[in-house]
Amino acid sequence: MNLFDKEAQAVMSKFKDFARLHVAGNPLVLFNIWDAGSAQAVAKAGASAIATGSASVAMASGLGDGQELPMEFALSNAARIVGAVELPVTVDFEGAYSDDPHEGARNIVRLADTGAVGCNFEDQIVGGEGLHPIALQAQRIAAARAAVGPDFFINVRTDLFLKAKQETHDEAMLGEAIDRVLAYAEAGASGFFVPMLGNLEFLRRLCSKSPVPVNFMTYPGCPSNAEVAATGVARISHGPFPYMALMGKLEESARLAFA
Amino acid sequence: MPVSQSQKFEAFAALHVPGDPVILYNIWDVGSAEAVVKAGARALATGSHPVGDASGFGDAHHVPLDYVFANAKRIVEAVDPLPLTVDFEGAYSTDPGEGGQNAARLKATGAVGCNFEDQIVGGEGLHPLDLQVRRIEAIRGAVGDDFFINARTDLFIKVEQRDDALVDQVIERGKAFADAGASGFFVPRLADPGQIERIVREVPLPLNVIAFPGAPPKAEWAAAGVARISHGPFPHRALMAQLTELASAAIS
Repeated sequence: MNLFDKEAQAVMSKFKDFARLHVAGNPLVLFNIWDAGSAQAVAKAGASAIATGSASVAMASGLGDGQELPMEFALSNAARIVGAVELPVTVDFEGAYSDDPHEGARNIVRLADTGAVGCNFEDQIVGGEGLHPIALQAQRIAAARAAVGPDFFINVRTDLFLKAKQETHDEAMLGEAIDRVLAYAEAGASGFFVPMLGNLEFLRRLCSKSPVPVNFMTYPGCPSNAEVAATGVARISHGPFPYMALMGKLEESARLAFA
Repeated sequence: MPVSQSQKFEAFAALHVPGDPVILYNIWDVGSAEAVVKAGARALATGSHPVGDASGFGDAHHVPLDYVFANAKRIVEAVDPLPLTVDFEGAYSTDPGEGGQNAARLKATGAVGCNFEDQIVGGEGLHPLDLQVRRIEAIRGAVGDDFFINARTDLFIKVEQRDDALVDQVIERGKAFADAGASGFFVPRLADPGQIERIVREVPLPLNVIAFPGAPPKAEWAAAGVARISHGPFPHRALMAQLTELASAAIS
């Protein structure tokens, strides 16, 4: 086997390792990071994979969230994180920096070229109102899948629950979420991400219908990891909360130093 | 009314009071700068090590100059009207003229000052004193009067025997740096109040030392005449250790 094959195999196994970590009922826990240094700190904690959070990256760099963070910065930051850790890295890529399926797909290929093994890809209209229609979002996913090949982990996120207050989460929304995950999985999604869905019964029903691993995001006051795992969730991430907690700690220690 | 860069420089220089030191809690990006501002900072200072570690480029001029400038500019804008000083290592050149040009580009980001060190970055030991003097003169010539050049000697980092003879060398460098146009004198690893007092007496520049875990109380350093206490890589290291702890708890 020549060196090229060995390298290719190492990359392949990174994809497979990452996909295999998604086990319904025994979820992969991702403690989201924002730069190479925070990635190394989380790797040191014994993480099995590394995930960025777009809001954290935006706050740390000062470049703003909602794709105000220039794509070139997102890509170069991703490449540096991949270079800083041995673990598989997945990048929160928001809406892939384009509503157009083909341009979005090209951007996801550029992200894959950094060495990242996957991304989050959301269905909200970034910089606009509401969500992309299911059919358009399915086209965007299909275009990304065709462009990036079969192994890249496209974690498609629906912002149905994020966009509505938790007390308004109802059967109709759960029904739409199930419609969306069926269409997204058909289009080539690898995973389904439902930030701010916290109703354990809804999570259980969603997991039982979803053909792909379901990702839950923790938030202050959310159910415990064990409760969430019992619903069949396969991945738990932490969104912007590690960053926010840490900046609180930095402020505290600076205050002590100034006292 | 917007505060001009020159006014920020004046405010920053005025914070350097021997006996009542300005405390700088070193930061590395906009987010860390904003957290430290919330804690009541009067000025911001980057550390080259934290910037290198956070970004993944590494220290010792491995962070590309363009990244240093872009990062500095973003921090300046985020913390306005507070002043920012940038740890500029060896100004990315051993050549005095080129170092001067780089410092002028740093000033163009809106930063009001920089650290500038005498160690041979990527090499062994320190630059000979006459060369270091020419490098400082070139920077002063390039940036004008309203930029705080915090000239750093790495004698205490590079030499293990931190005795009176070494303090003599530190004083020799400090005096020469002052004559060359430095605004401040920075001696990392200097900690002994007796040695600090000698240096403060002999060198006509505000003295900067780094606080480290286990360092003497700040009041003791202040009483010895220190005018600026920075924290180097320690805030970033401590925070990353806290992140490792939080992540361990979340993953287990």
